[in-house]
Amino acid sequence: MIKLSNLRLDFDTGFKLSVDSLNIRGGEVFAIIGPNGAGKTTLLNAMALLRKPASGTLEIMGCDALAPANKMFLRRAMSVVFSQPYLTNDTVYNNVALPLKLRGLKDGAAVEEALELFKISHLKGRNAKTLSQGESHRAALARAFAIRPKLLLLDEPFASLDERVKDTIARDLRKVITVYNAAVVFVTQDQGGALTLCDKLAVLMNGKIMQQGLPQDIFVRPVSREVADFVGVETILPGKVASRRDNLCAVETGGKTLMVVSDCGPGDSVFVCVRPEDVSVSLSADAGGRRNNFKSRVVSAAPWGLEYKVELDCGFTLRAAVTKQLVDGLGIKPGAEVYASFKATALHLIRRA
Amino acid sequence: MEFILSGFQKGITLIFSGNAEIFAIARLSLTVSVLATAAAVFVGVPLGGWIAVKKFPLKKLLIALVNTGMGLPPVVAGLVVMLFLSRSGPLGFLNWLYTPMGMIIAQIIIALPIITALSVSAMQSVDPRFYQQVLTLGASDWQAIKVCLKEIRLTVLAAVIAGFGRLVAEVGAVMIVGGNIRHQTRVLTTATVMETQMGNFDTAIALGLILLTLSFAVNMALTLIQQKKA
Repeated sequence: MIKLSNLRLDFDTGFKLSVDSLNIRGGEVFAIIGPNGAGKTTLLNAMALLRKPASGTLEIMGCDALAPANKMFLRRAMSVVFSQPYLTNDTVYNNVALPLKLRGLKDGAAVEEALELFKISHLKGRNAKTLSQGESHRAALARAFAIRPKLLLLDEPFASLDERVKDTIARDLRKVITVYNAAVVFVTQDQGGALTLCDKLAVLMNGKIMQQGLPQDIFVRPVSREVADFVGVETILPGKVASRRDNLCAVETGGKTLMVVSDCGPGDSVFVCVRPEDVSVSLSADAGGRRNNFKSRVVSAAPWGLEYKVELDCGFTLRAAVTKQLVDGLGIKPGAEVYASFKATALHLIRRA
Repeated sequence: MEFILSGFQKGITLIFSGNAEIFAIARLSLTVSVLATAAAVFVGVPLGGWIAVKKFPLKKLLIALVNTGMGLPPVVAGLVVMLFLSRSGPLGFLNWLYTPMGMIIAQIIIALPIITALSVSAMQSVDPRFYQQVLTLGASDWQAIKVCLKEIRLTVLAAVIAGFGRLVAEVGAVMIVGGNIRHQTRVLTTATVMETQMGNFDTAIALGLILLTLSFAVNMALTLIQQKKA
């Protein structure tokens, strides 16, 4: 659906975006995640044909997307939704009908269907400027789907919405994507949102794609310290592989030894990655078969959404996600002594130079 | 003091007496300025929108030139148009000198930079990302400009009001190009100048009052449209 190679965009500010290769297939939901200023929007704008790359090739639906002759055709095959809905000062119905009108089409059924899909049929006579934020986003999505796009580009589509509205819209969007079988590319810095929606994922940092693949691979096995940090690996420890038996490595870090399943060899300098949700906290020394078990002292415990983020000192600093019930049940508070355990298979090693 | 008061009295009497010549003059004033404004809007609004959203070399220079054109002295516009339309001028074959058509041309030249410049600045107030959003909805450049202009129609209408106000009150260009010929090219402003110079203050006051009333009526109508859309 979209193929890009050696794409380069330069900015007056000196920032450079350069993507060696990216391949997005039809019917796939592809997320591009990365921190602020990584170049996500620029990349999306290039795909939306709003910004011309300095060099490289961009192919959309089998056409050379950089050829001026294909621009209108490709633009009319796709829809783009930005973080702001950018509705016109007109009724919701006319807003949703606008992309059809611009194509010289009149298709009342398609408009009604799009309104229905995003549950805003009852608002169609209202002026779009009087809608709430959530309703505006629904209108913008309905407008994007009124033409039944083959390709949908979303730029931080839910950035300004509160969690609850975000969740319901994301769920409806997921359904609509399935119905239309469109290829979807969306960029976001919200990795949680990316996980709930996407089939494939790419991590963009400083204008370069650091890693792409299945989301679970990237979240569990990041290729670099920066990616690990961005995808929510909160414990990243420098260490050295001391020995290895089969694929079980003993890694020394901060005077402690961690057991990790990995293909790294003895002597390798590595970063050990521990995701907070893989850490179990208990009062008993029985680790229940987990190979890593450390007596540790609670440094801090702070609420994080429905859970608590607990910082533990076990010779090295370990961060764990713990449910509120457990925090109350175990009496976790600064200074308390607990056991922290995690599986050798839950850990991941990144080789460092 | 007394001659001013009596001037007003006589002027108002003249208006209500239904003097045919005065009404013909008023009609011509209105026709010339409305047509010139319409033509300037037809060209200037899309042109202003295009200048605002497009990137091209010397764009800032062009905007500066258009802004300068806003202050173009009507007599200069009138002089240039007269030279072009004069018998030996390049457009002399049109025979438009001393005709309402020539006056309309001169007034278009005065109104065009005003309406274009105000449209440029109105269009520049549109969020560039809104324009991009419209492009991604499948719009061609002109379609996107049209959608954006519709979005800022109130500001564009203000540009129209400014342009018309300037034209209906303008005297220099219509005087030079029209020549203030009785029954042919005499409009309210040129007639007012003439009557004043001849010492016919009551007629001059009557003409001035009609001009004010006309200007008010047109602006009131435009304002009503503008505020209704708000």
